[in-house]
Amino acid sequence: MNFYSVLLIFRREFRDQIRDRRTLFTIIVLPVFLYPLMGMLFLQITQFMQQHPTQVRIVGADHLPDSPRLLNNNQFSEAVLPENLIDLMELEVLENSSSLDSELLRDQAQEQINRGEIDAVVFIPPDFSDQLGEFRNQLRNRQLESQNGVENSALPPMPVLPQPTILFNAASDRSLVAHDRVQRALNSWRELMVDENLMQSHVPKVATRPFEVEHADVAPPIRRRAAMWSKVLPFIVLVWALTGAFYPAIDLCAGEKERGTLETLLSGPALRSEIVWGKLLTVMSFSVATAILNLSSLGITALLYMRQFSAAGATLLAPPPLSAILWLAVAIIPCAALFSALALAVASFAKSSKEGQYYLLPLLMFCLPLMTLSLMPSAELNLGTSLIPLTGLMLLLRVAIEGRIVEALPLLPVIAVVTGGCCCLAIRWAIAQFKNENVLFGENEQVSVIGMVKNIWRDRVATPTLAQAIFGGFLLLAIRFIASTFASVPTSWGGFVQSMLVTQIGFIAAPAIVLTLLLSRKRLQTLALHKLPKWWTIPAAAAMAVCLHPTALWIHRAISHIYPPNPAVLDQLQPIQLLLQSAPLLQVILLIALLPAICEELAFRGFLLSGLRSQTKPFTAIVIASLFFGFTHGIIQQSIFAAMLGVVIGLISVRTGSLLPAIAFHFTNNALVMAASRISTEGVIGTPLGRLLYYTETTTGGTALVPHWHVTIIGALLACLILGRFRSQRRSAPASFTSPLVKSSEMATG
Amino acid sequence: MIHVDKLSKVYHDAQRGPHVALAGLSFDVGPGQIYGLIGPNGAGKTTALRILSTVLRPTSGTATVAGFDVTESPIQVRRHIGFVSTNTAVYERMTAWEMVEYFGQLFGLRGEELRERIDKLFNQLQMHDFRDVLGAKMSTGMQQKVSIARALVHDPPVLIFDEATSGLDILVARSLLDTIRRLRDEGKCIIFSTHIMREVEKLCDCVAIMHKGNILREGTLEQLYEEHGETDIEEVFFQLVQGQSPSVANIA
Repeated sequence: MNFYSVLLIFRREFRDQIRDRRTLFTIIVLPVFLYPLMGMLFLQITQFMQQHPTQVRIVGADHLPDSPRLLNNNQFSEAVLPENLIDLMELEVLENSSSLDSELLRDQAQEQINRGEIDAVVFIPPDFSDQLGEFRNQLRNRQLESQNGVENSALPPMPVLPQPTILFNAASDRSLVAHDRVQRALNSWRELMVDENLMQSHVPKVATRPFEVEHADVAPPIRRRAAMWSKVLPFIVLVWALTGAFYPAIDLCAGEKERGTLETLLSGPALRSEIVWGKLLTVMSFSVATAILNLSSLGITALLYMRQFSAAGATLLAPPPLSAILWLAVAIIPCAALFSALALAVASFAKSSKEGQYYLLPLLMFCLPLMTLSLMPSAELNLGTSLIPLTGLMLLLRVAIEGRIVEALPLLPVIAVVTGGCCCLAIRWAIAQFKNENVLFGENEQVSVIGMVKNIWRDRVATPTLAQAIFGGFLLLAIRFIASTFASVPTSWGGFVQSMLVTQIGFIAAPAIVLTLLLSRKRLQTLALHKLPKWWTIPAAAAMAVCLHPTALWIHRAISHIYPPNPAVLDQLQPIQLLLQSAPLLQVILLIALLPAICEELAFRGFLLSGLRSQTKPFTAIVIASLFFGFTHGIIQQSIFAAMLGVVIGLISVRTGSLLPAIAFHFTNNALVMAASRISTEGVIGTPLGRLLYYTETTTGGTALVPHWHVTIIGALLACLILGRFRSQRRSAPASFTSPLVKSSEMATG
Repeated sequence: MIHVDKLSKVYHDAQRGPHVALAGLSFDVGPGQIYGLIGPNGAGKTTALRILSTVLRPTSGTATVAGFDVTESPIQVRRHIGFVSTNTAVYERMTAWEMVEYFGQLFGLRGEELRERIDKLFNQLQMHDFRDVLGAKMSTGMQQKVSIARALVHDPPVLIFDEATSGLDILVARSLLDTIRRLRDEGKCIIFSTHIMREVEKLCDCVAIMHKGNILREGTLEQLYEEHGETDIEEVFFQLVQGQSPSVANIA
């Protein structure tokens, strides 16, 4: 790859984007003016809301006590409401209402509120003042009697005062504002009443609040400011980095196709990779620029408003510390690189800019959950979260802004590898798109469901296509998910057997077999059952599972360490564990080891893998099939382990060219786990062989068998040797998985 | 300079299934020769020329351009050709000069050498009037001139013109044909595809009539006239195509 060419392409694409009004609008004009405009609009709206007077009717004002006063000259008393709010209340005070006409008034008020003629109505009950007088008398008597030595329990109970009512309409904002203001006035009025009662009873006011709690925040002011901003800023920056990447990416890929200039560039001397890198740098620059401009514009707007508020004496929202801004600037680069590569690859699928716009949503749906995950209060930066793309980076950024970067240093390489790895994959994907004739020159085709089905049937090839395999994978996931929402935890062994049979045969094997029948011409080849492997590969695969058993145990331990199992999930699994422990071992092995080994292998190493292999490299196909295999397992720890196991089984299947050794491995692996759960730790450690292989470790859950390191390494080496033997056997076998369409769908790479 | 041997290309079309665009095409073009490819729409001309320009990959067969194989050394092939097609548009947000300069730089030309080369091309093609006009503001004729200057900037020995005169007015088309003729006289090896028969008569040293991904007949104009007893290439074309598929000729 020639860097000068990359630079040339970058320079041209960059200038091209600068000359595009639409891009300039989204990237520069919008962020510069958006926030000041939004701020102004917000201020206007709040002023409008606050300054609007509200109309309130008080019915039964003559029933109000003389002290404390709620009203004063047909307005709320200054003692119950601040002056500025009193001016905003247009009160209509009605007197002399008896209990008879109060029902009528109530119906009338209700209608008026609903019609919006009045915002709220307060009903003071007819005997409110009298009852309050009675209440106070009672209070005085109680006090006298208690002074005379009467026990508290012997005193008559206090009367309950009739309640004033506020009528309002929660569907109207004006009415809600009126309700809040009236509520505030009534609350203050009640407080005044309490004060009077206390005074009357000669109880000092302080008796109601004998102490106050003092809050002392020990965080230094800079940390306090950082903690607040550490959640908001990364999110804003990343969302804009993604948006800033997407629009130029659409213009540079779909836009060029539309304008007919892509072929001009492709027939030029630049390599596909140089073109992609040049475009990527352009998209990245705009992504970074959008994020920085938005951040600056937001920052400047916020500063100006803060100054205005502080001048008005309002509480200050402290600006983020400088270090936060610096960390953001550092983090923008890898984020922009990742988003740009993703956006470029996604946008290259589109044949027109319009089509490109539709792809923004799936990309957002993929990225946003990963970003919001880091905003959750319980999200902490640890090995588990740092392994999640984007989430780890955002959490690292949060920690860095909070000034705790030293704590995160050990995880820095992990996050760098994950982010870098994702970037590399996305860039490779983008380059692959630029080498694919179908993507570059494919026409927009009319979609007709019946026609599509007919064409799929007509165009069946030996094994399913890549798209069909991926569709199959998602279908299996969807079926699995829907089925799991209906499933209940079985309470008997019979119920468990039934649920396993339905899940494995009905939801995994059956869909895979149906898809194979529908989508491929060579069905047995699709399921990798078209020829028998060499006889010894089957026991060898089983032996491999035995050899890898110690490694599997270590991987289990590592996964549980990184992602500790959720106790609630463990509790849910408890009844099933008990069922498995009490059932006959042979049945357990048939159900947990043999059944999944056959059903899952037919689906994942059969249909899915052969479909994926028709258009991708074997290892890529194995990894994708394993990811689907992993996702079908409901619990995250199981999923990770299954995905890893899937890679090994995939390798066995590809190298032996048959599903049978894969089934043998899968069966042995599951059977070993089941058998191990039946054998007591003491029993194993009691034998010389047991001691040679394992040592015990005491954990909270009891003692566990841990394989010695040397045993693990020897086992893994033996497994590699067996796998190597499979490879030499595969070399001599004829290649049966090449599709004639593969060559034509790849472009001259240049 | 161009050697095409049993070239075939099969597309996968979701509607029609596998579609054969080229079915074993073979021909040779030497230096100082204009080779005309004529045929109706969908005959496979564009596919063949896209393969020669390495934008597409053949399903089978081989093609070498200036001694380089299109699948094995596509970069070398692209360095030795200039490709002008209806599908190779000019950049809308670049001026004529910038566009030609950009491709010159991609081909490794620098500084004074590049400037002189562009200046010469702009003189020859009379492009100085619109050298600073953006692509979006140019007329079709101007855009085509920019495309030709872009294809010639690195002075390639092989030139491929795919329907290069389509959409041009008679004056511009004529000047384009003059340019192509001059390039032939300079010793360039040229492939010229069109469906306008008159252009072939004026320009080509050797003509191939294509239909449904195959060459029906190939030869000099004189040979074709003699074989079919006609003096008009259009008539020769009709005779050949009619022999292949009567319905097409009837529609035409």
